[in-house]
Amino acid sequence: MGTPIIQIENVSKSFGSLSVLNGLSFDVASGEKLALIGPSGSGKTTILRLLMTLETINDGVIYIDGEPLWHMEKAGMLVPADETHLHKMRAKIGMVFQLFNLFPHKTVLENVTLAPTLTGKLSKPDANNLALELLDMVGLADKAEQKPAQLSGGQKQRVAIARALALKPKIMLFDEVTSALDPELVEEVLNVMHRLAAETDMTMLLVTHEMSFARDFADRVLFFDGGRIVEQGKPEEIFSNPQQERTQSFLKKIVAGGRQI
Amino acid sequence: MEWDWDFVWEILPTLAKGVIITIQATLLGSVLAMVLGLFTALARRSPSKWISAPMFVFNDFIRGTPLLVQLYFLFFILPDLGILLSPLAAGVIGLGIHYSAYISEVYGAGIDNVSKGQWEASKAVNLTVPQTWRHVILPQAIPPMIPALANYFVAMFKETPLLAAITVIELMNAARSVANESYRYLEPMTLVGVFFLLVSIPCVLMLRHLEKRFAPNDQR
Ligand SMILES: Nc1ncnc2c1ncn2[C@@H]1O[C@H](COP(=O)(O)OP(=O)(O)O)[C@@H](O)[C@H]1O
Ligand SMILES: [Mg+2]
Repeated sequence: MGTPIIQIENVSKSFGSLSVLNGLSFDVASGEKLALIGPSGSGKTTILRLLMTLETINDGVIYIDGEPLWHMEKAGMLVPADETHLHKMRAKIGMVFQLFNLFPHKTVLENVTLAPTLTGKLSKPDANNLALELLDMVGLADKAEQKPAQLSGGQKQRVAIARALALKPKIMLFDEVTSALDPELVEEVLNVMHRLAAETDMTMLLVTHEMSFARDFADRVLFFDGGRIVEQGKPEEIFSNPQQERTQSFLKKIVAGGRQI
Repeated sequence: MEWDWDFVWEILPTLAKGVIITIQATLLGSVLAMVLGLFTALARRSPSKWISAPMFVFNDFIRGTPLLVQLYFLFFILPDLGILLSPLAAGVIGLGIHYSAYISEVYGAGIDNVSKGQWEASKAVNLTVPQTWRHVILPQAIPPMIPALANYFVAMFKETPLLAAITVIELMNAARSVANESYRYLEPMTLVGVFFLLVSIPCVLMLRHLEKRFAPNDQR
């Protein structure tokens, strides 16, 4: 094992007077599939948003591939990163959102090709080919010319996954990507993610309330509460034999809520 | 008083000149209002309060005072400060500034209407800020703005007779001068009314069509 692909060191984040993360640290190994679980408001989304640079960091350092994400090294000192540095770092990371956030004025195909062509990574024909390949992988090649509004939620989310993959990120972040979907559409999205996990060596961070999926998908599960990691371990350990009382009661509540483990 | 066709033909060339000035003032005023409105809309979004706050004050000030007063300032008071404008230039600038304050609101609302998620998705696929504006935000923000913009252009068009107050010989002024000379008001004023109707009605019909066409769509 080399250096971890993500190193989160003493990271703090607050919104106004609300402290959400307070000196959080953990590493993620390259290729690892990590599930972040925990009660709502425990800071899971904030962690992903910090990694995607959608929120600014208050304190601490995040390293991606050994390079600081929010900082630059200048004369041996860490100074806040400028936009150029952030742009470079973002290329390593992709994100899929709970509410899809597709570009509604673009076709499905254009949603996927827009970024690779604009960032100058690919020529238009190459981007089209790649997009069709990815849409085929998520089972939507026949929808390429449609607008997002014509798709079901599950289809939209699969397009969003294809859009993120088109930039070939090393790290993919999934924030409750199935929780806005009708129950019967959850499966098709989870299947795609399963395939991704099995077929690629991308590092994947997943925030989810789908415990059975987290169990199959993840190499490691982190249980968060109040912005801290209360317990972590292999899925079997966390789900079958949680050590902490808070983990136990959280999992019990989820089961009582009608979701299976 | 009887309708006099001969008189109509006689005054038509004078009124036609007025029509041209009216249309010129509206078009130039609209362009100026759109450019200035964009400028203030963007300035109001500036993270620096030193830039955004004066723009808010400016917009409220402009919307809180009558166009006629603003025209008087431009035409009769600016010359005291050494700035001499032709009547038409003062009129166009007055219309442009006045309507820019409203159009700036339209831009602001249009931009705000594009969900925050669009900015975030653009960042997540690593678009730069200019690319995000050009390819993601503006293409979604502009279409819904079109009916409101068109609405203000029609309103501006109907307010061009105010320019008569600063001696612009637009249609209303032209009509008034021929009426004053001949003591016949029926034909000139009727022609003015008909002209405004002939332009406004198609505009209003088009507006209704635009409003339907650009009904808000699903942002996701
Ligand atoms: N932009 C924001 N402004 C203010 N408070 C926020 C913002 N984003 C998140 N929060 C708060 O931070 C806390 C953690 O939120 P979040 O990371 O979304 O938790 P989770 O994803 O675990 O449900 C919550 O109390 C939430 O209300
Ligand atoms: Mg969340």
